[in-house]
Amino acid sequence: MMQLIKIVVFSLLTIGFFTAYSYYGIPQIIPAPPPEKEELDLEGITTADLIVLGERIFKGKGACTLCHNDVGGRAPMLDDIGMKAQENMADSRYKGTASSVEEYLYESLVDPSAYVVAGFGKMGTQDSESPMTDVRTGSIKLSEEELLVVVAYLQDLSGLDVTVEIPVGSTGTEESGQPAATTTQVVTTNTRAKYDSAEEILSQLACGVCHIVGHYQGLIGPDLSHIGGSRSKDYLRRAILDPNAELTEGYMPMMPPTYGDQLYASELEMLVEYMSRLQ
Amino acid sequence: MRKIPRLFQMIGIILLIYFSFIVLFDYLLDQVIPSSLLRMYMFFIIAGVVAVFTFTEGSTEELLAPIMEMMENPEKRKVRNAVLTVMPILVGAYLYSQMVPSVEAPVELRSIHPAPPSSVKLFGKRYNLQTLVNPLRKYEKDDPEKFRELVREGARVYIENCHICHGDKLDGQGLYAVRLNPTPLNFRDVGTIAQLQESYLFWRISTGGPGLPDEAAPWISSMPVWQDFLTEEEIWQVILFLYDYTGHRPRTWEE
Amino acid sequence: MQSGAKHGDKMRHLDWKCLLINSMLLFGSLCVLTLLSDPVYAAEELVEVTASNVISPPELTAADYPQILGLNSRVTVWLVAQLHLWFAAFVLAVPIFVFIIEAIGMWTRNRKYDDMAYEFIKVSITAFAITAILGGLLTFCLFLLYPHLMQYLSGIFRESMFIYALLFFAESVTLYIYYYGWHWLQGGNKKWIHLTIGLLLNSVGATLMFLANAWLTFMMSPAGVDANGVFSGDSWAAIHNFLWNPINLHRTIANIAFGGSIIGAYAAFKFLAASSQEEKAHYDWMGYTANFIAISALLPLPFAGYYLTAEIYAYSQQMGITSMGGVFAWLFIIQAVLIGVLFIAANYYLWCGMGRSEGAYRYNKYIKYIAVVIVAAFLVWFTPHTLILTNVELKALGGPYHKYLGPLGIMPAKNTAVNLMILFTAISVLLYRRANKIPTVSRVEIGNLVQIALFTAGIINIFILGTYYGYFTNTVYKIAASIPQVLTTLIIIGISALIDLVIYKGAKEVAPLHWGRIPDRAQYALFLVAVAFTWLMGLMGYVRSGLRQHWHVTDVFRDNSVEAFTPTLGYAASVVSVGVVIFMAMLIFIFWISQVSSQKTVVHGYWKTT
Repeated sequence: MMQLIKIVVFSLLTIGFFTAYSYYGIPQIIPAPPPEKEELDLEGITTADLIVLGERIFKGKGACTLCHNDVGGRAPMLDDIGMKAQENMADSRYKGTASSVEEYLYESLVDPSAYVVAGFGKMGTQDSESPMTDVRTGSIKLSEEELLVVVAYLQDLSGLDVTVEIPVGSTGTEESGQPAATTTQVVTTNTRAKYDSAEEILSQLACGVCHIVGHYQGLIGPDLSHIGGSRSKDYLRRAILDPNAELTEGYMPMMPPTYGDQLYASELEMLVEYMSRLQ
Repeated sequence: MRKIPRLFQMIGIILLIYFSFIVLFDYLLDQVIPSSLLRMYMFFIIAGVVAVFTFTEGSTEELLAPIMEMMENPEKRKVRNAVLTVMPILVGAYLYSQMVPSVEAPVELRSIHPAPPSSVKLFGKRYNLQTLVNPLRKYEKDDPEKFRELVREGARVYIENCHICHGDKLDGQGLYAVRLNPTPLNFRDVGTIAQLQESYLFWRISTGGPGLPDEAAPWISSMPVWQDFLTEEEIWQVILFLYDYTGHRPRTWEE
Repeated sequence: MQSGAKHGDKMRHLDWKCLLINSMLLFGSLCVLTLLSDPVYAAEELVEVTASNVISPPELTAADYPQILGLNSRVTVWLVAQLHLWFAAFVLAVPIFVFIIEAIGMWTRNRKYDDMAYEFIKVSITAFAITAILGGLLTFCLFLLYPHLMQYLSGIFRESMFIYALLFFAESVTLYIYYYGWHWLQGGNKKWIHLTIGLLLNSVGATLMFLANAWLTFMMSPAGVDANGVFSGDSWAAIHNFLWNPINLHRTIANIAFGGSIIGAYAAFKFLAASSQEEKAHYDWMGYTANFIAISALLPLPFAGYYLTAEIYAYSQQMGITSMGGVFAWLFIIQAVLIGVLFIAANYYLWCGMGRSEGAYRYNKYIKYIAVVIVAAFLVWFTPHTLILTNVELKALGGPYHKYLGPLGIMPAKNTAVNLMILFTAISVLLYRRANKIPTVSRVEIGNLVQIALFTAGIINIFILGTYYGYFTNTVYKIAASIPQVLTTLIIIGISALIDLVIYKGAKEVAPLHWGRIPDRAQYALFLVAVAFTWLMGLMGYVRSGLRQHWHVTDVFRDNSVEAFTPTLGYAASVVSVGVVIFMAMLIFIFWISQVSSQKTVVHGYWKTT
């Protein structure tokens, strides 16, 4: 027993020495805390970097190459998508609303079934439904900016000029007196459900605060109750996406230029369609 | 002549080694030995000496004999009392000297080469430091003529900007070096740029003292943030020059 | 004479048959493993993966980590994992050398070896149960405290985790047959079967460890996943990641050294508690053998460590600098201190052991030179790259660089030092082995001269490699120079051991070896080795895991729990110390319980007499 106690004391002393040395024999450096999470830093980003970033997401987080590769044959290759996009949009099977390659690419990411390349549809659906998921959902969960970056990469990949413009925070909203919250939403709205009708868009985006439209009676902006009679769809689309490009006489440039960023392409079309019917 | 007791032999050897260290480093080589290091050195030297003195039964007994004698022999009472009084006082005095607060500023520890971040934003672009290579390095093989030109260009950049601190011989002994703490790096030393990849230098030069991570803190390095003054190419050129002049090769992982 | 030869023939025949069975079993198990881990098999698996069931790491917030009973999740998992690892290392290592000792016993037909091997395995059998319990506890803790991480990992490693569970059964079965069948499977054919089971046990054990290693090296250097951690479906790529083999090698060697040191502590304990001279002699011999095993594994360990570190650097400069130059730089100074303690204590034990024979006294005078070299080499090894300087010293030096001590802080100096340390420890062993022998063969002088020449040339070679290539060429050669250095060391040790075998073949004994004639101090040296080794393992376990910093899986799966920060070394050391104390307490329990089974209390008047 005596031996055991001696051994225990000896071992404890040894352990104590090691501990004490670790405390007093060497400097106690307090390591830096973990760095803050790196945000997608798109402020002032160049097109070249946009493409690099897009490639990273395409091959990485987006898990796109899992199917879009040249061995599995589970999904079409995308290296010529820039050329194909125009044809696809003109195809009779096209169900989407895109009017440019950029919009088409974006739409194909969030609504893959809008156009299914022949032979790549879900089994038994005659190529009417795509096996691909909306990449904003599930485990891939790309944010709005990441989507745009991927579109930029795809444009570059297929030899087109990159037309993607990264939404720039809130420009000129201070003067217009709009609450900042509506504009900064750009960054956060990445996975909301789609609006079902144009009426819902009107209420969600509070168009009636300024305009006379539907049953809203806003007086700040132009009256829209018969707008479809005097303006073309293209004009309307532009007036939403870039409101200050052409002003109605007598009105100040105060409408926020960010609504285009808050709407999905299909919703924008829905809204334009709705307005064109206001005769 | 009587043989010196083993105990005193042992103590003598330990003291001899201790003072040889001090004489060697502090006086002969004129580079003081850090006290913290010397303390640890002595710990292991004592362990080694004691091990050598006690590994046989005979020598252990011989070693302990004077102590036993002093403790047990009634005639040695005076010596015993003296030793038993002086020893605790000495230990206490040593402890006191170690614990007493002094006016000296606390020791500042910096990592000389802190770990680089995996990527860094410089010149408005994001660089992956793991894969970044010197874009000019290739000319060393492909076009030696152009390479010499680039090194000369790097030398110009160095003399215009760096030599005031890092010295015209790249030895860290520039004009201003004496007043700086930490002192500017000596690039000729085998422990500095020879141990690092070129991307590391690119990071350190571009972001300077303010770009040091916290673990290299307290950063009191006065190295400027060179990305504000030099172009990207100039930094790569000066890196070529640093290695060329010192004869070091940047660290690489494959030949 | 004739019957002896005949018997020998029969034995050889049996040997052949059993070896065949042996290799068939091994081949079979390898086939199964290869099939299971085959890339083609994995590729088929890949097809199954569709976009909807992608395995990818989730983004977590601190709130996603469950809190249970107010436990500190990290420290809980840390301690349980470390305890599991200590026991597992012990339980995996013991069968390795039990197998070797059993084989030696069969070769020499010396009963002593067989008995000792049995005693070794007996100690480890209780530890086996505790390992399993701790493993279960660890799994519980991980799944309860880190559910998301475990979901991700088990998604990637589902096959290997399942195989692991199956192999664990195989391990238990073979271990129990090996242990309980020890006395049954004796003699001739049966002994060979027993040895085969031992081999099987070791193969299963090694596979188990390699699988578990794959999971943790995946966390350090993920493979088979893309930059965002999305699993490609290739399980073999995930297992065969960058650091897998370096860790496998390092752990296998370290386990043997660790197992040896723990058995050594057991023997030392029994030695100190022994009452009879006979018992003392037995446990002295056992302690000597265990220490010999520990040292043999300790010698190549630094090389495995350098290989691992070099691979970490090659995998990621960031991780490499974090370990050696960044926050963990000082940890390696603590490691240096511990290894110094190990080397000095192990050598001291050898030197003390020379007192077992009168014949060894002739060598006593050389010990001090060996000690000088080992301590000096150690001091070089211990010198840190960043010196702690007081302000006065800083001013006196004119900066944080020391002209003479600075160069000792980098790799070439340390490589040279560690090679010398190992060479001289090998000399200690050589001297010990010669202690009580006088060679009888001719040309002894030549053999000795060759050995001396070999060591001298080797030492000079190591010096030149270390200084010239280390300081005057570029870094690629600096790292590369360490390989010829290591080779020099290993070749010298190998050749001189061979020469020794030749010279001392049939050597006369100068004086008898008195097993048991060793001071108690030497037994404490064995304890010191065991405690230092355990503590060191805990510390290195911390740094291996800590290198990931705030990542569950490096650069892929971020740790967002409140304990994601890297603690100070003092804090880590405290956790390690607590772990070591618990481990030691459990060990004492195991040693005690293995003793209880052999004790009998005779009672009178308790049982009804029939």
